[in-house]
Amino acid sequence: MPSSRRNRIILIVIIIVCISLVTLYVRESDTGPLHRIQNFFLDLLSPISNFFSKIFRPVKDGIVNLFHLPSLSKDKRELQKEVATLRRQASESRELEAEVEEFKRLLKWSEENAQLDTVGADIVGQSPSNWKRLMIVNKGSSSGIKKYMSVVTEEGLAGRIIAVGSRSSVVQLITDSRSGIGARDLRNRETGVIEGRNENTMRFVPMNDEAVMQVGDIMVTSGLGGTSPPGIVIGRVAQVKKRSAGLARLVEVKPFVRFSRLEKVLIIITPEPESVILKEAQ
Amino acid sequence: MSRRRQIFLAGAVVLAFILQIAVMPQFKLFGVQPDLILVVAVVVAVQEGPVEGAIVGFCGGMLQDIVGPQVMGVGAFSETVAAFLAGVLKEFFMTYSILLPVLLVFIVTILELSVNQLTLLMLGQENLPPFNVLGVILPAAVYNVLAVLVVYPVMRRFSFTQKGESLILTRPGGR
Repeated sequence: MPSSRRNRIILIVIIIVCISLVTLYVRESDTGPLHRIQNFFLDLLSPISNFFSKIFRPVKDGIVNLFHLPSLSKDKRELQKEVATLRRQASESRELEAEVEEFKRLLKWSEENAQLDTVGADIVGQSPSNWKRLMIVNKGSSSGIKKYMSVVTEEGLAGRIIAVGSRSSVVQLITDSRSGIGARDLRNRETGVIEGRNENTMRFVPMNDEAVMQVGDIMVTSGLGGTSPPGIVIGRVAQVKKRSAGLARLVEVKPFVRFSRLEKVLIIITPEPESVILKEAQ
Repeated sequence: MSRRRQIFLAGAVVLAFILQIAVMPQFKLFGVQPDLILVVAVVVAVQEGPVEGAIVGFCGGMLQDIVGPQVMGVGAFSETVAAFLAGVLKEFFMTYSILLPVLLVFIVTILELSVNQLTLLMLGQENLPPFNVLGVILPAAVYNVLAVLVVYPVMRRFSFTQKGESLILTRPGGR
C-alpha cells in the first residue's frame, strides 16, 4: 500500500475513534463504562501524583515565593493606603456600625459552620490541563464523598467535588470557568452567581441588575444552588467595572482561599448537597 | 522509521504523560503549565512527518483523557490536529534551526487550546466566553516554547538515523 494512502487511512481512523469516544462519553451517564475507566485510572494515579507532589513541593514553593516578591512590596503599598482609608472611615460612626454588623454576621456564620460534618483530605494532584482549575484529593467514595459536595478550607470555600473514585476525588475550584456558585453579598443581602474565569479572580452576576455593589463587600454562599450550604465565605469584591453599550457590569471577586498554597482541605459531607439528595430520591 | 525509533517514541510519550500529570502541575506559573505531550508530538511531527506526529499526539492526548475528568476524546482530537498541522507547516520551511520547532510549537499551542475549547463549546461542555487569550493561551504558548528548547535537542540526540532513512534533521554533511 502506498505510504501516502496508508497515512491518510491512519489519520481518518484516528479522527473516527476520537469522534466515537466523544459521542459515547457525552451520551453515557456518570456511571457509564468510560466514566468508570476514568475513575479507575484516577485512583491508580493519585498515589503517583501524591509522591511527585511531595518531592517537588519545596521547588514549587521556592518558585511561588520568587514570583510573589514583587507583589509583596506592591501589597505593602496597597495595605498602607488601605490603612489610611480605614483610619478615616473609623472616625465615622455609621461606618463603624456597619462593620460591627458585618462581624456579627461572620460570627453567626462561624457558629453555624461548627455544625457541619467534614472530612479532611490532602491535595495530591492538580489538573494537567491549562483550561481547568481542578485538584485531586486523596478521599473518595469509601470515605463517604459524593459528587457536588463542597470543599472548604479555614479561609473559605475552595470548590466542589465533580468526580469521585473509590479512594480519590476531583475538586473543581471556584475559579474554574465551569464553576458557578449561588452567592450572597453580606452587606446588602443581594443574591446572584459567582462564576469562575480560569483566572485568579471570579465574577459576580447579581440577580438584581440595579444591586449596589461596593469594593470590599464580602460574598458568602447563598445555598440557593443546591450544592453548598449557606453562609460559607467565598471572597471579597475587588473591583466594580462599569461597562458601556448596555453590557452587564463586571463585579470582580477575589477568593479568600490562596489556591497556590493549598495542601489540605475539608469536604462537607453533612448536610449533603440537595442535588445529591434529589438524585438519590429519583 | 526503525524499530528502535518506534520504541523510543513510545517511551517518550509515556514519559511525557507521567511528567505531565505528576510533575508539570507543580510548575504552574500564573495558573498555566507547559503541555509536554503537545511539545513531544510537535517535535516528532518535525522529525518524522505529520502522520507520525498525529499518532503521537493521539496516543498522548488519549492517555491524558483517560485520567482526567474531561470529555474522553477531546484532548486526543485537539492534540492530533495540532501535531498534524505542525508536520504540514514544517514542509514550508527549509531550515534545520531550532527556531523551526519553536515557531511551530508557539503556533500549534494556540491552535490546540482553541480547538479544544471550540470542541467543548460545540458539545455544550463549556460556557462562553472560554477564550482567555492573555491569561491562558499566550502564556501557555510561551511556556511550551521554553519546554521545546529542552525537549527538541534531547529528542534529536535519539534520532537513530539509519542508512536509507530520512535525514531531515541531520545537517547537510553531518554524521
